[in-house]
Amino acid sequence: MFWGFRLEFKQSLRTKKLWVILGVMMLLYLPGFYLQKASGEEIETVQQAVSILINNVNGLGGFFIAILALLMGATAINSEIEKGTLRVAMSKPIKRLSYIGGKFLAHTVVVLMALLLTTLVGIVGLAWLGAPMGSQLVTDSLLLNGLLLLAMVQLVALGYIISTFIKSSSTALGVALVVMFVVFMIMPAIVQFVAAKDTLLSENPDWEAYQEKSEEYKTKYLFYVPTTQIDVIVSDATVVKGDVTNPSVEYVGIGHAIKSNLANLFNLVFLTLVYLAIAFYRFLRMDLR
Amino acid sequence: MMKIENLVKLYKDVRALDGLSLEVKPGQVYGFLGPNGAGKSTTILSTLGLIFPQEGRIELFGLEVFRDGKFNEENLVEAKRQIGYMPEHATLWDFMTPVQTLDVIGEAFEIPKAEREKRVRELLELVNLWDDRNRKVGKFSKGMRQRLLLAQALINDPELLILDEPMTGLDPTGIAEFKDIIREQKKVGKTVFFSSHILAHVEEICDTVGVIVKGKLRVEDNLERIKREFLKRGGYTIILETNVPVDFTGAEWKVSPLGEKKYRIVAPEDIREQLHDFVSARGAKILTMQVKEPSLEEIFLKMVE
Ligand SMILES: Nc1ncnc2c1ncn2[C@@H]1O[C@H](COP(=O)(O)OP(=O)(O)OP(=O)(O)O)[C@@H](O)[C@H]1O
Ligand SMILES: [Mg+2]
Repeated sequence: MFWGFRLEFKQSLRTKKLWVILGVMMLLYLPGFYLQKASGEEIETVQQAVSILINNVNGLGGFFIAILALLMGATAINSEIEKGTLRVAMSKPIKRLSYIGGKFLAHTVVVLMALLLTTLVGIVGLAWLGAPMGSQLVTDSLLLNGLLLLAMVQLVALGYIISTFIKSSSTALGVALVVMFVVFMIMPAIVQFVAAKDTLLSENPDWEAYQEKSEEYKTKYLFYVPTTQIDVIVSDATVVKGDVTNPSVEYVGIGHAIKSNLANLFNLVFLTLVYLAIAFYRFLRMDLR
Repeated sequence: MMKIENLVKLYKDVRALDGLSLEVKPGQVYGFLGPNGAGKSTTILSTLGLIFPQEGRIELFGLEVFRDGKFNEENLVEAKRQIGYMPEHATLWDFMTPVQTLDVIGEAFEIPKAEREKRVRELLELVNLWDDRNRKVGKFSKGMRQRLLLAQALINDPELLILDEPMTGLDPTGIAEFKDIIREQKKVGKTVFFSSHILAHVEEICDTVGVIVKGKLRVEDNLERIKREFLKRGGYTIILETNVPVDFTGAEWKVSPLGEKKYRIVAPEDIREQLHDFVSARGAKILTMQVKEPSLEEIFLKMVE
């Protein structure tokens, strides 16, 4: 397992995909801090700082690293078959399960590193803006990273399925992009629309009813979209208190949000296991040519 | 050393291996010949567990690695410790140098670091890549990649070398060097199994040849015997010119006239003397006689027809 891990880890760090996607993310990420600074708005409380960090990491990382994870997974096996490196590797005294296990572990570590980098940049940015620092910044960002890691690992696993069923790596890349944009972006939009239809778009729009419906629908009908599951959880990290005329947004923390959304956490974990089982099972039985 | 029995491999509806059986004995240099698409690579990939045949049995070093559609992974891994495999048209990791590549492969065999370093150097010198040891493999030419593939197959000093078309892409020097390496392996008692569709490559270094056609083994024997067997079935061709026309009725050979006093005679053996007597008995004289022994190439072509 260790051999496969080290090999894949070295290989992953040298792929263009990784650096292009991270680079584009930074291009969007860093100017955000300048805009914040230019606006002259002060970040007064630790809660506020955490809230900004969470939104940054979830919004940017959740999008870009998700693409990275899916694309990395989708070409993990088939491109190695195309190149022939897999035949060389598997002709050595290495078991198939330990090879793919090591590969998966390597991809997990790469994704985690990307997430931590995103978080670190976020924290450094906040410090540069002069935001107050507190221990919650660390605990909550770690919790969020854990959640995001689950989501990304699920995408890697989904990618593996694509990679073991589609022989050509370029076709697999195309399929992964279609899945990303059609399933993971259009489906949520449709579900959101359905949730809004009877609530927001009726004669007397009811924002709260919409919120509730949309959360319920996302859990039920979008259980296969890991980033949406995270959004559902993270949205509960802040609560709106007070009445309509005088609303106050309060940050209550990721830990709290996870506790009140266990169904979404279950979706994240369970589907990952299912995907991995399918991908590994397939890999153990497939022709490597 | 390596035994294959009634192996069947279907790719969807293509019957790539159709009950193939062959045996490689210890110390042999076995040339696995066959035209394109005959199933050579399929056979090799099957023995290494890289693809899944449907039926048959495979044994490596006396260990049963495949039977009834299933691989025994324990045995397979055990066998692979003593196997060196060189795939057909594969690349290695583009971002690594030859030294890094061989080092990684050596790690897979759990060779200790110091020994690995020594071995890497030996092998890179052996395949003439030592001067390019720190260049990226991605920038290598086809022949250089081929040399590195051979080197990685040798890293564990394997008892059995399985090479899939190892000489494609090599220049004449490369081919000569490759043949030397194989001879050296044979000398120290190793077994070599390699595929090719070019007979000339096999002729000099193999003691045994197996010919696969459409997923079945056509012949498996020592080259000399294959040749003799072939000649027996009518391999000699003699072109004969006489001073007057000769009537060949009653002759036990196949005779076809090439001209008024010129004939082509096909016989199972060298019949020059009998021919002489036959012609003299009919009052004619032989002016010229040309005996053509078939080249191995011709034998091979006949065999795969
Ligand atoms: N992935 C595949 N899917 C379907 N058919 C395949 C596949 N790989 C090989 N085949 C078929 O299996 C048969 C045997 O192929 P194989 O590669 O073993 O031949 P070969 O003897 O190695 O030929 P060559 O000299 O060209 O390397 C061929 O008819 C080929 O078309
Ligand atoms: Mg082949």
